[in-house]
Amino acid sequence: MKAHRLGALIVKESRELIRDPVTIALAVIMPLIMLFLFGYAVNLDVEQVAVGIYDLDNTPASRDLSARFDSSRYFQLEQKTTDLRDLESALQSSTISMGVVIPAGLARQLLRGDEAPVQVIVDGGYPVLGRLASAYAEAVIANFPAPRQSAVRVQARVWFNPSLRSVNFVIPGLFAVILMAFPPLLTALAIVREKETGTIEQIYASPVTSTEFVVGKLVPYGLVAFLEILMVMVVGFAWFQVPIAGSPILLLTSAFVYVLTTVGIGLLVSSLVRTQLAAMLITLIVTLMPSFLFSGFLFPLFTMPLALQLYSWLFPAGYFMEISRGIVLKSAGLEAVLPNLMMLIVYTVLVFVFAAWRMKQKVA
Amino acid sequence: MGIALFGLLRKELVQFFRDRLILTLILWLYTIEVVICAVALSFDVSHLPLAVVDEDRSALSRSLIQKFAVSETFDLKFQETRVATATDLLEKGDATMVLVVPAGFEGALLAGKSAQLQLLQDGTNSNIAANAVNDALQIVQRQEREALPAAGKKGVAVPLIRIWYNPDLTTSGFIVLSMIALAGMMVGVIHPAASIVREKERGTIEQLLVTPISTLELFLAKVTPTLIMGVLSIFPSLVIVRVFDVPLQGSLLLFLVLTAIFLLSAIALGVLIAAYSRTLQQALLLSFFGLFPLMFLSGGLTPVETMPPFLQSLSLLSPLRYYMDIIVGIFLKGAGLAVLWDEALALLVIGVTLFIFSLWVFRRRVQ
Repeated sequence: MKAHRLGALIVKESRELIRDPVTIALAVIMPLIMLFLFGYAVNLDVEQVAVGIYDLDNTPASRDLSARFDSSRYFQLEQKTTDLRDLESALQSSTISMGVVIPAGLARQLLRGDEAPVQVIVDGGYPVLGRLASAYAEAVIANFPAPRQSAVRVQARVWFNPSLRSVNFVIPGLFAVILMAFPPLLTALAIVREKETGTIEQIYASPVTSTEFVVGKLVPYGLVAFLEILMVMVVGFAWFQVPIAGSPILLLTSAFVYVLTTVGIGLLVSSLVRTQLAAMLITLIVTLMPSFLFSGFLFPLFTMPLALQLYSWLFPAGYFMEISRGIVLKSAGLEAVLPNLMMLIVYTVLVFVFAAWRMKQKVA
Repeated sequence: MGIALFGLLRKELVQFFRDRLILTLILWLYTIEVVICAVALSFDVSHLPLAVVDEDRSALSRSLIQKFAVSETFDLKFQETRVATATDLLEKGDATMVLVVPAGFEGALLAGKSAQLQLLQDGTNSNIAANAVNDALQIVQRQEREALPAAGKKGVAVPLIRIWYNPDLTTSGFIVLSMIALAGMMVGVIHPAASIVREKERGTIEQLLVTPISTLELFLAKVTPTLIMGVLSIFPSLVIVRVFDVPLQGSLLLFLVLTAIFLLSAIALGVLIAAYSRTLQQALLLSFFGLFPLMFLSGGLTPVETMPPFLQSLSLLSPLRYYMDIIVGIFLKGAGLAVLWDEALALLVIGVTLFIFSLWVFRRRVQ
């Protein structure tokens, strides 16, 4: 490896990258779009569920119960009806997600000291919403008219994310997803493009060695990837106010290793295929899909069947996700993240060795 | 118009069925992809690893712990004697909840006093945490009602919860349906985009333009195969839907008609993308750009109700959002047009507007 040749290659690649505004825009804008979409849209904290109330009792007591639903921050009174069929069709068309039926005689039963049943119909069509809504409705009704006296006092404490904010969980996971979405794709396309246009033959004919060629490609794209993660981290912490419990230096160091993993995967893909279309499809299948679906990003791994859990171990996003969530939420130190970090390092080395071997075969 | 259009349509259909790659991709999206996602992805909160510290060692504490152990939500993985070792498990992520029954629990309750229980929950995944705490509280309440009956529950409202359409609140049926909707969107956008851009890349579009074929005919010939294929692809996924025990409560015909209307918007987006891109790579990247926000704002991944207001208003523009309500409505709830008319109308307005706009852009850009 000669320094001047390598320098020239890096300059060439950087120029090519800068002169391609579409790619630059993609590299900068897409991660930000993803960050904002995920930060705002992937919010599993249920608030303001639309409720319809069918009040057969129509007494001060029943109106008080309706008002409790309306004033709870989990519910919003969308519809008051005097016809059960209205409730049914509102549920069918998803105008409301929950219906409450207050039977006639509620006030009387309460006055007499009996138990007064109140029926709640929950839309199970959207299960995530349905689960939470039914639990909250149960709490509202059970504490009516007076808070229920319970002999057992449950003291529930939530660790690591006491406010139970979804963004605190989503943003650190997103670092792993975003870095898998773009750097491998860009790296793979950069190399395969030379294959498709035939310019790679000229490189082979020049005194440039294959190592120099590869390093020349990796440095600018690795840099872009590292800038990407820096940008996403700053916006995530500054805009979404996600507190970092652990050490930011440790997070950045692990991110650096992960950046190498991602460009390494791009390199490996480029050594396996000949066309840009194929490179694109394969990178989607081996990077974006698994990092989104099989990394524990939104869907917990332990609920998956064993075969799919094993499958999920094949992809590096899950390892970095654990590191990043560990540092951000649980203030994990080097010791705690070391096993996952070692996995990433081993993974990266293997990817590079395999890609280099494939490249050598091609050149020879 | 007649004969030329017919000939062109034949050419497009032949080309379509010869393209193994696209056919495989479509079939993959509608079947295997749906199955993988339905099996793998779940928001179900079940089998959470639980660690228990029983300092009371009484009949009551054992029966309470037994209730946790047999519940769907929790798996009793660890029984520790010291709180510190249990919290270590929480810290390492081996357990997501620690239940501590302090000494004197049963004694206090039998003496008619109040007793404390301690729950420590890993809040990393906020959705799981909220559900786990709710479920734990319910288990405790049930145990209390059983062990201490008649504990002054006079004159109280009692909730009777009934879940409609999906009594077990499982997520797999919902995910199957949302993946089918997403597949329709992806195929509807990517296929026309790819087939137009390919002619551009190879230069064959110029040959078509010098023939007497009008741009309208060319446009129709390009979009019709996708429309037909998009509606036909529903049938293989009906089999998948059966496998996952998702009932088809409503009318299949209504579903097919509304699917066709929905495909209009998807196809129009595909044509727009094709009109503005020169290479296949650009077209694919642009589709990716467009599909991503549409997917997110549809309610197919996370409920629209939980989004901030400005995203909720933005989601009103996404055809996929209405289609999600339609697919869930027809399959799970047995809704008919009487109930779904406003969603259908919204789809129709968005679809026709986009379609006309894309035709206009296509005419200007192609010539």
